[in-house]
Amino acid sequence: MSEPLKKRVEAAFDEPGCEKNRSKDAKERKKGCSKPLTPGAAAGGCAYDGAKIALQPITDVVHLVHGPLACEGNGWDNRHAASSGPTLFRQGFTTDLTGMDVVMGNGEKRLYRAIKEAIARHSPAAVFVYVTCVTALIGDDVEAVCRHASEKLGTPCIPVNAPGFAGSKNLGNKLAGEALLDHVIGTREPDITTTTDINILGEYNLSGEFWQVRPLFDRLGIRVHTCMAGDARYNDIASSHRVRLNMMVCSTALMNVARKMEERFGIPYFEGSFYGISDTSDALRTMARMLAERGGPADLPERAEILIAAEEARAWARLEPYRAALAGKRVLLYTGGVKSWSIVAALQEIGMVIVSTSVRKSTEEDKDRIRALMGTDAHMVDAIPPREMYAMLKRGDADIMLSGGRTQFVALKAKMPWMDINQERHTAFAGYDGMVSLVHELHRSLSNPVWEDVRRPAPWDAAPADVVQ
Amino acid sequence: MPQSADKVLDHASLFREPEYVELLARKRQGEGNPPDVKVQEIADWTKSWDYREKNFARESLVVNPAKACQPLGAVFAAAGFERTMSFVHGSQGCVAYYRSHLSRHFKEPCSAVSSSMTEDAAVFGGLQNMIDGLANTYKLYSPKMIAVSTTCMAEVIGDDLQSFISNAKTKGSVPEDYDVPFAHTPAFVGSHTTGYDNMVKGILEHFWKGKTRVDNGSINIIPGFDGFAVGNNRELKRILDLMGVSYNILSDVSDQFDTPSDGEYRMYDGGTPLDVVKDAVNAKATVSLQEYCSPKTLDYAASFGQETASFHYPLGVGGTDEFLVKISELSGKAIPEALELERGRLVDAIADSQAYLHGKTYAIFGDPDFVYAMARFVLETGGEPRHLLATNGNKAWAEKLETLLASSPFGKEGKVWAGKDLWHLRSLLATEPVDLLIGNSYGKYLERDCGVPLIRLMFPIFDRHHHHRFPVWGYQGGLRVLVTVLDKIFDRLDDDGSQAGVNDISFDLTR
Repeated sequence: MSEPLKKRVEAAFDEPGCEKNRSKDAKERKKGCSKPLTPGAAAGGCAYDGAKIALQPITDVVHLVHGPLACEGNGWDNRHAASSGPTLFRQGFTTDLTGMDVVMGNGEKRLYRAIKEAIARHSPAAVFVYVTCVTALIGDDVEAVCRHASEKLGTPCIPVNAPGFAGSKNLGNKLAGEALLDHVIGTREPDITTTTDINILGEYNLSGEFWQVRPLFDRLGIRVHTCMAGDARYNDIASSHRVRLNMMVCSTALMNVARKMEERFGIPYFEGSFYGISDTSDALRTMARMLAERGGPADLPERAEILIAAEEARAWARLEPYRAALAGKRVLLYTGGVKSWSIVAALQEIGMVIVSTSVRKSTEEDKDRIRALMGTDAHMVDAIPPREMYAMLKRGDADIMLSGGRTQFVALKAKMPWMDINQERHTAFAGYDGMVSLVHELHRSLSNPVWEDVRRPAPWDAAPADVVQ
Repeated sequence: MPQSADKVLDHASLFREPEYVELLARKRQGEGNPPDVKVQEIADWTKSWDYREKNFARESLVVNPAKACQPLGAVFAAAGFERTMSFVHGSQGCVAYYRSHLSRHFKEPCSAVSSSMTEDAAVFGGLQNMIDGLANTYKLYSPKMIAVSTTCMAEVIGDDLQSFISNAKTKGSVPEDYDVPFAHTPAFVGSHTTGYDNMVKGILEHFWKGKTRVDNGSINIIPGFDGFAVGNNRELKRILDLMGVSYNILSDVSDQFDTPSDGEYRMYDGGTPLDVVKDAVNAKATVSLQEYCSPKTLDYAASFGQETASFHYPLGVGGTDEFLVKISELSGKAIPEALELERGRLVDAIADSQAYLHGKTYAIFGDPDFVYAMARFVLETGGEPRHLLATNGNKAWAEKLETLLASSPFGKEGKVWAGKDLWHLRSLLATEPVDLLIGNSYGKYLERDCGVPLIRLMFPIFDRHHHHRFPVWGYQGGLRVLVTVLDKIFDRLDDDGSQAGVNDISFDLTR
């Protein structure tokens, strides 16, 4: 690992905003916050992947991956971050490095030419250049190339130095945040500012779900300057340092951005979630209060309460029809981070029983919230090895599993209804409306007749009485 | 001229050239048509509830029927026996229709002859045509068996096949002991499924009459009239072989309608050997895979003391389960693990895709057994069959299907339409739209007219090639049906998001 990168990784692991990090001694802290990888055991995505997914939703830029083809090829357009305008971010750009480039050391030249061509053809607002394992190992100075290209070509070129081997996906999220802090945030001034400007960090507008929440802000007169990075424009992120408040929704992902924006620009942040009814209300409440404290309209908290009351009542009324069908159904949540608790609250609200929730990517704060919600930490599980998960599901510990696409198949093979709540899903679950969608989807998943077929043994294996004729 | 030898345009593009566009527009002007606005107004009205009521009040006129006539079924059934030539007694034009119908669907030659009756035959009876016809067929095409059916013309004048054939044999058209089974197949009774039943029964009667059954434990299987017969029959045989069942398929067209291009023209290929047909009287049971294609044949088999059972086109999980369990029961053979694995894979595939299948609404038309099977499969996927229509469906069929619908919450809004035609279906689709239409190629007009995507899973499929080569029966076939339905769903999703930057927010790579 190159010196600057090493320093940056160390810096990312020094996180005063994180309690867990603070509770470690200096030596422990140096090891980083992600678990050491176990060679030979199945593992999740790499730092590059983490950086890419955090930034990819910026819509009007070229995301150029400097490396052999597959780093971009495998991850190209695989999340449904919706855009209200530009579609440039959905194109796959890569330098497609070959063996010859590696041997001859042509990487930097190739990168410069690629940047030049991308700008000439697409006139992007900026070019984000992602370092990969190969280009980091052969020592391409991507930062220098980007600096040079920015000067020569007049378009900001942002180096994202998070090669895969640097660490976990979560570290990649943070390194992406560092890239924004170092090269983007604060480089331009906003055209307008208001006393109610906010940024939302760690919101990716998957399946357009943020658009379900945005009208709430509009109704309160709160101006969302930008999300990082859902449906974002480069210029808005570059000028995001003049807002009054940051809201952080995906807790561990961009913590460093929130904290450093507070340090550098005096913008306070709070952590919240749009998953679940009471969580959405809490977020609005906190936001209104903090904005009012920071010079926003004094009646904002009061107006927020009125909106919250109306929206909650509407959401409850819409959820009520499902209560009969879903109350008492047992859910196994296998996700991570903020969803490990925000969805718990939501499901409990309609009477569902949480068998367990995984806390693989959750912070200590996340875990505290789970304890508070569930009354005990008995239901918190760390990563569940597929074999064990299979056994749990097979035993019928739960009626349905909610998880990401990767564990979907474990559930299905164990004859367990399953619903996607991670990034590859196609239904927007954020906000009051999103909760209704989530419950609607849950009901659909649980009532689909295929589960009967899944659980019914082949008729010739069943006891005669079980055979459905 | 828009056409030139340097770059020859085909019909799809040629008539869009400005010269033709202008010419056709002028022609339309000269025809004194009502103004376009008026035409549109009436077209819109034909999609209203008001028109629907008038449409369903129709008593005599049938518009766009979804059925064919008896002799088509008879020709199809006869094609499934070893070196058998179909001889349709009556006028030749009818026979040309059956041949082209089957050829256009299977993309294979289809041989069948007629007794080419003319006006004098109609007046004096068709005996002479039978005598000459059988002699010529025998000489020209050297079949091992000639299966005689009839067109309406012969039926109206009341020609008696049994005596005609016996007369022809006396006159030396064919040897005395030569096999000439027959079936009366008037088009004004029933449909092609009835004709199939009559022909299979006619052939069995020819070989079985007067015999006494000595149970040999085998199982006769009658596949029924089936556009997917090539793939289905092969799949059927694979399944039965896996189980180790001793079986006789009575009418197997899978090779006849799928001959290879290897330099040899096969007028006859495959089919059930005549010796097998003879011996089939000794079977333990006769099983029909399409109940409405074989009521008389099953009764006939039962009269020899055979057990009988019938299914509705064994498709999907439940449909296949039932079939296998019955075969296992009849044969005493266990269902092998290989099939259980296939079952698990089909269930797995449905579960993988359930989010896209759940709650989709369907209109299904076609032959009664197919409509039943398809509705049942749709219910298994969490889809909602809404309009179920068989022009050749009867009241008993409708009741059976209503029972099926009542068995699932997903069937509660389904309606069964026996004896209705595709013009009725148009009114249904226009007034109570659905997500998907399942039927045959004739559904493409409804697809265009009502904007409902058509899935072709029913005979005839003229405008798409080779679908019939892949099975839809059994668990494996269920996968194919599933994929066909899903492809249409996903294609439609993509079409809905086809304009970049306008409506493509859900134009997703991963689904």
